[in-house]
Amino acid sequence: METTMKQYAILGLLLLSTLAGDVSALSVTVNDVECVYEYVLYEGDTVSGNFVVVDHDIFWSSDHPGIDFIVSSPGGNVVQTMKGTSGEKFEFKAPRSGMYQFCFHNPYSTPETVSFYIHVGHIPNEHDLAKDEHLDPVNVKIAELREALESVTAEQKYLKARDARHRHTNESTHKRVIFYTIGEYILLALASGLQVVYIRRLFSKSVAYNRV
Amino acid sequence: MAENARVLLPLLLLLMLVRVQNGESVWLNLPSSGTKCVSEELHNNVVVVGDYAVVSDDHEHLTPIISSKVTSPYGNVLHHKENVTHGQFAFTSSESGQYLTCFWADHPAEGVGLIVNIDWKIGVAAKDWESIARKEKIEGVELELRKLEGAVEAIHDNLLYLKNREAEMRGVSETTNSRVAWYSIVSLGICILASCAQVWYLTRFFQKKKLI
Repeated sequence: METTMKQYAILGLLLLSTLAGDVSALSVTVNDVECVYEYVLYEGDTVSGNFVVVDHDIFWSSDHPGIDFIVSSPGGNVVQTMKGTSGEKFEFKAPRSGMYQFCFHNPYSTPETVSFYIHVGHIPNEHDLAKDEHLDPVNVKIAELREALESVTAEQKYLKARDARHRHTNESTHKRVIFYTIGEYILLALASGLQVVYIRRLFSKSVAYNRV
Repeated sequence: MAENARVLLPLLLLLMLVRVQNGESVWLNLPSSGTKCVSEELHNNVVVVGDYAVVSDDHEHLTPIISSKVTSPYGNVLHHKENVTHGQFAFTSSESGQYLTCFWADHPAEGVGLIVNIDWKIGVAAKDWESIARKEKIEGVELELRKLEGAVEAIHDNLLYLKNREAEMRGVSETTNSRVAWYSIVSLGICILASCAQVWYLTRFFQKKKLI
């Protein structure tokens, strides 16, 4: 009896939380493999999105080695593969409805933070119009407009993630400039001081008298 | 119990489909031990609405329970719940930075990973269109157009935000640029100063020792 009530409560909550809109660009830390799932409602829907590697701890190399991105359909087939990229946009038409798997593979040992955004867009076609009498032909145009606006929003999220990555690099450069130059000054002063001390010791009396 | 399951499972699936139609959610794989965190970088004064639920298709056992925590960039805990199967949170960001949402499984005795459904909406997407539609008594095409207008305003705000971020970053870059030039010249000056000081000190030292 309690489990039924709990399940009804879950259903009730799901019903209450039907808000319109999009999920925003989430970031996830990829250690080895990180998979995200998204449900595609209709066959033929356009799944679009982008991902950017935001935070990386590379010290010497100037470019990111890249992570791999693999999209699998509910049947297990690989729909898209991208290897060795540090950020890309993707778009494909879903061959069937179901739960799609978006996986990030990190071939290196350092954990990376990946910011991703996935959007499933559906435009009603004549089949849907015939099925549902509440749907106007104007709804098709509105859906197309909505999808166009979504693509602009997706582009903005991509730019925002790229900007975040650029900002990390900039702030790291700024910090490096300050610390490394101050460290350089201190080391320089230390080295010259040590040189003077050493030469003094070479010419000190006790050493001179011990020379044979 | 079995007939309840037979009624509830298609209902649950239907409700999930209805949800996905109005909004988008992401399904995450939660490992049986350890925490899974999702983060997003937000600026000040952004409305965030999120809800999460554990997805379980096994009606024989109880739904696995998880704990969740949402933290602000300065460490304040905005939402903390233990031993639940679902939850909801809503807040307005007061600090700009990285907001972290973490989940962990309370009883890792299962040994198998769980799947958690996260629905995270910010800004315009978090607006409650149902209540706006009821309050202003609009529906159908007008409601859709209002949503599109909201989306366009969000695009405009995002663009201004990106422009401001770019201006900040440009300031940091230009500071770094001028500092590199200035610090290198100072470094050269210190080098020359150190060598002159060494030469002057050693000359005085040797003159005192009557070696010169």
